[in-house]
Amino acid sequence: MNATPAAMTAARRTEDAPPSLRRSIGVLRRLLRYTRPHARLLTGAFTLLVLATAADVVNPILTKVFIDDYLTPRRFPTWPLAGLAGAYLGLLVATVTLNYLQLLLFQTVALRIVQRLRVDVFSHVQRLGLAFFDRTPAGAVVSRVTNDTEAVKDLFVSVLSAFVQNGVLLIGIFVSMFALDARLAAFCLALAPLILAAMALYGRLAGPAVRRTREWLGQMNTRLSESLQGMHIIQALGQEDRMRRQFAEVNRQHFLARMQTIRLNGWLLRPLVDFIYTLALMMVLAWFGLTSRTGPVEVGVLYAFVNYLDRFFEPVNQMMMRLNLFQQAVVSAGRVFELLDDTTLAPQPAESAKGGPTPRVTRGHIRFEGVSFSYDGHHDVLRDISFEVLPGQTVALVGHTGSGKSSIMNLLMRFYPVTRGRITIDGWPLETFSEEELRQQIGLVLQDPFLFSGDVMTNIRLDRPGVTETDAVDAARFVQAHRFIERLPEGYRAQVGERGATFSAGQRQLLSFARAMAGHPAILVLDEATASIDTETEALIQTALRQMRQGRTTIAIAHRLSTIQDADQILVLHRGRIVESGTHQELLARGGLYHRMYRLQQGGHPSFAPTTVGTGPHTDA
Amino acid sequence: MRIFVDLAWFFRREWWRYLLGVLILLGVAVLNLIPPRLVGRMVDAIGRHQVGAPLLAQTLASLLTIALVVYVLRQVWRRMLYGSAARLARMLRDQLYEHYSNLSPRFYQQHRIGDMMAHATNDVQAVEQTAGDGILTLVDSLTTGALVVGTMAVTISWKLTLVVLLPMPFMAFATSRYGQLLHRRFAAAQAAFSNLNDKVQENIAGVRVVKAFGQEDSERRAFTAISSDVVAKNIAVARIDALFDPTIQLIVGISYFLAVAVGAVWVVQGSLTLGGLTSFTMYLGQLIWPMLAFGFLVNTVERGSASYERIRRLLGEPVEIRDHPGALDIPPTGDLDVDIERFVYPGSDRAALSEIRFHLPRGATLGVVGRTGSGKTTLLRLMLRAFDLEQGDIRIGGRSIDHVTLRALRHSIAYVPQEPFLFSATIADNIAFGRPGADEKSIREAAAMADVDEDIRRFPEGYRTLVGERGVTLSGGQRQRIAIARALLMDAEVLLLDDALSAVDGRTEARILAALRENRSGRTTIITAHRLSAVQHADLILVLEDGLIREAGTHEELMANGGWYAETFARQQLEALVEEGPSG
Repeated sequence: MNATPAAMTAARRTEDAPPSLRRSIGVLRRLLRYTRPHARLLTGAFTLLVLATAADVVNPILTKVFIDDYLTPRRFPTWPLAGLAGAYLGLLVATVTLNYLQLLLFQTVALRIVQRLRVDVFSHVQRLGLAFFDRTPAGAVVSRVTNDTEAVKDLFVSVLSAFVQNGVLLIGIFVSMFALDARLAAFCLALAPLILAAMALYGRLAGPAVRRTREWLGQMNTRLSESLQGMHIIQALGQEDRMRRQFAEVNRQHFLARMQTIRLNGWLLRPLVDFIYTLALMMVLAWFGLTSRTGPVEVGVLYAFVNYLDRFFEPVNQMMMRLNLFQQAVVSAGRVFELLDDTTLAPQPAESAKGGPTPRVTRGHIRFEGVSFSYDGHHDVLRDISFEVLPGQTVALVGHTGSGKSSIMNLLMRFYPVTRGRITIDGWPLETFSEEELRQQIGLVLQDPFLFSGDVMTNIRLDRPGVTETDAVDAARFVQAHRFIERLPEGYRAQVGERGATFSAGQRQLLSFARAMAGHPAILVLDEATASIDTETEALIQTALRQMRQGRTTIAIAHRLSTIQDADQILVLHRGRIVESGTHQELLARGGLYHRMYRLQQGGHPSFAPTTVGTGPHTDA
Repeated sequence: MRIFVDLAWFFRREWWRYLLGVLILLGVAVLNLIPPRLVGRMVDAIGRHQVGAPLLAQTLASLLTIALVVYVLRQVWRRMLYGSAARLARMLRDQLYEHYSNLSPRFYQQHRIGDMMAHATNDVQAVEQTAGDGILTLVDSLTTGALVVGTMAVTISWKLTLVVLLPMPFMAFATSRYGQLLHRRFAAAQAAFSNLNDKVQENIAGVRVVKAFGQEDSERRAFTAISSDVVAKNIAVARIDALFDPTIQLIVGISYFLAVAVGAVWVVQGSLTLGGLTSFTMYLGQLIWPMLAFGFLVNTVERGSASYERIRRLLGEPVEIRDHPGALDIPPTGDLDVDIERFVYPGSDRAALSEIRFHLPRGATLGVVGRTGSGKTTLLRLMLRAFDLEQGDIRIGGRSIDHVTLRALRHSIAYVPQEPFLFSATIADNIAFGRPGADEKSIREAAAMADVDEDIRRFPEGYRTLVGERGVTLSGGQRQRIAIARALLMDAEVLLLDDALSAVDGRTEARILAALRENRSGRTTIITAHRLSAVQHADLILVLEDGLIREAGTHEELMANGGWYAETFARQQLEALVEEGPSG
């Protein structure tokens, strides 16, 4: 493919700096909007959660009742006690069941939300124009749709649900404590700022270390994967030692960052929370100790408080450990939304073409009228291009790389909008055709015959409503691909390996011919490959090309002499202009080219038969 | 548990860290036994309304002291255990990287980069976890658990201990079982995610085909189906994952119930105080983690063993291409003599090259042409010792390339591969890759010789422009020319260009070739090419076919022969004219 100037401009990703608070809130808001369609399920999950928590926090109170009302006064009436035990066990089972359900429900909803986001962003990418793909590295787009949405999944699955669940539990515990002893509970509530402070401290101090560790890990993995890919070069240029040292340095940096994280986690995470727990315990003991000196206390209440404190701190630990994921997810979500907001859409049919009846391609009469075009808005790659292809004719485009051949193809395919000049098919402007009509009537054969994973049949048919299996087989026959397909172990059902690696370059081309022909297009757009192809397949390809062109309007970016010689019209492009046009004979007769070719033929190579280009020069912008 | 034996070398190496870490872990466990006793004593005192100020002050002071000491000690064992584990991970990564850089192309042909990455990331991580969390859970589940149980049994009531412990094995069993199930389902979820990734990659790579045939909707449907599968597989994970907490809750709840219900009987009988019962339930709380740890331990160890086994196997891969004993560490110079009787790629039964014999005087240029698969690249790779030649010999300056060190050999040879590979670094760094530390002037000169200096200077940041994902997108021709500049900067005795001009146009090619002739006098150059104009001026041209020399001679001689070379040359000339149009 020709590198367009747009592709040459640096496409740089913004560094993953922590987002500002305002931006975070904006991103979070937008993410939360995705929960709306699931409002009912979420309400259900939340109800389950509240019930489970309620059942959960009641049990220590039951124990308290047992201790204070029965055990301490040594009263043991059978039925009330059995009721108490039954209630305890019943509530336990209820808690466990409800908890399982709410956990599952929250996760399910979270996964659905992320799926929605994924499908949204993928669908949006499908609507984007080639101009977008020119300037965005493929890896970046893939990463947005997969890895970044995965980080958002973590946000919903691990962070938000954990915060909601643990938050509700903490509230439940406090409510119970207040129910047991409001004044003591109020004292315990004083611990809340302490815990929040610990969380803030952790976020402030350990956050950067965790981020640094992750960044070094990322760098280390990038470096490793790059080294593995380029190992042949590293070895050929004898740079193993240097690369090893560099890797070791990144590895060391990662280790240092990791050690810092371990230290900070030690000071600020679980050990600190446990320390605060002891402080709370001391407070409760002091309270009961002091009150017992002045009046009676219920030991059961003390028991329940100790029990609650025991449970209070695990949720706090959980929440703190997940703070890190939060920031990462917000950064990722921000990137996903940026892609969702990209407006480089593919050219759409004109407004007037929507709704009303759209024109059809009947004969395949193509006209370019004064078309100029620029990818970047500064530098014109096509200047005032005008030509006409009569129905059934073949036009061959020749010229240097970068002369504008591909751009003519790109415009005719409506990959980019025509802004200056006009392109018509059968008299109708290109933009008045519906997407379906255009895609059905123009068959494209690309230089690089892209194959999808799947079998041969799907690759020829694709998912086109009008194309049957018979069409596909007929097309394969027509383009000489049937024979080799039939010889495959599973014929048309044979799986195409990774990007068609199991086929030779020639076979892949024949398959892409079949794909183009299966739709019975009125117009053929051909970007001939320059890859070297074995002689046998080359002969098949030439026959196929000749048959495909017959009676079909064809625009070919030609590399094969046979294609050029047979063309009804040759357009010679140079720096975006048509500098010469005519038939093969006319062009030869006109001057320099003809003479040089003639001399070559006279040079003593009578066997010279124009066959394949095989190794023609390609791609350099 | 074999993994702990396998890793014994590391534990011995870091013995004092591990010893200290484990001892402190035990110390913390012992200290943690005290607070429940203190609380129990307080409860009894409160129950009897006998809380004196000294008792209260003493209890609180003890609690605070223990908490502070434990807080600090936890620091230390974390640093010891987790730090050592991180050290192990770092060592393994360095070892793997070093080994990767010694392995030959044959290994790279047989292994996928994704798998190699996985070993250095996931597997190392799993081993790190075993050496850190694994040891922690081992110590905690065995010793801490035993300590707490012992204390409960000895100081409070062995009968009650026995009763409340009854449900605990279920928890260890269940969590370990869940862990296994989870692992399997998690793998399935990962596979689904990787499908999703493949789909997106395919879609983006084939964007032109998708658009040309109006496949956007179909792609969207396919993607939705795959992403639904991802959801389904993840829900399967969630079904197991969500079992953990409730199971623990259930079993712990039953244990508490048993403790209070059965304990109450002894309280009534007078063999247990209410304070003792409170201490007892607090100990029970301390038992949850060791029990869980036991379940985790089984899984951590299982995963760590498998990972460590894979890493060991990889590190055990023999390095095939190595220095022969007594090899000279002096970069060879001089005439090139190639005398290949036969070379067969490992695992193939067809000779890739046979009877390739020629002599190339120092400073001469050799052209090698022929169809794809005729053996051109193989010849260059043998010179680089990417594979070892057994039947035959290649000599530089009369010395076999087997008799010099790899370092020296590769110092003498600069290589430009068919597919130019650039690193994610600045353009200057890429050009200086084979000669790090080269000054800016020589980098520029090399770039100018490769006819890419102007291109580079047009980039926003010139030579400092980044290449790769985060940098500029280069055209195929620019990449090739930067790779040529990289090789030229090495100023090596022998320059190998492996079809390295395929993506530049005819005129650029001519300029580069002229620059080579001018700047590489006295040094040997070997050019393989599909386009014959690249070798036209070579002193000797070999035409290969199926690994054999079919034609040999200078351009004039070969043209006079009227064979494949002459035929192909004429055709390519003509095509070049057509391509360039009348103005060319």
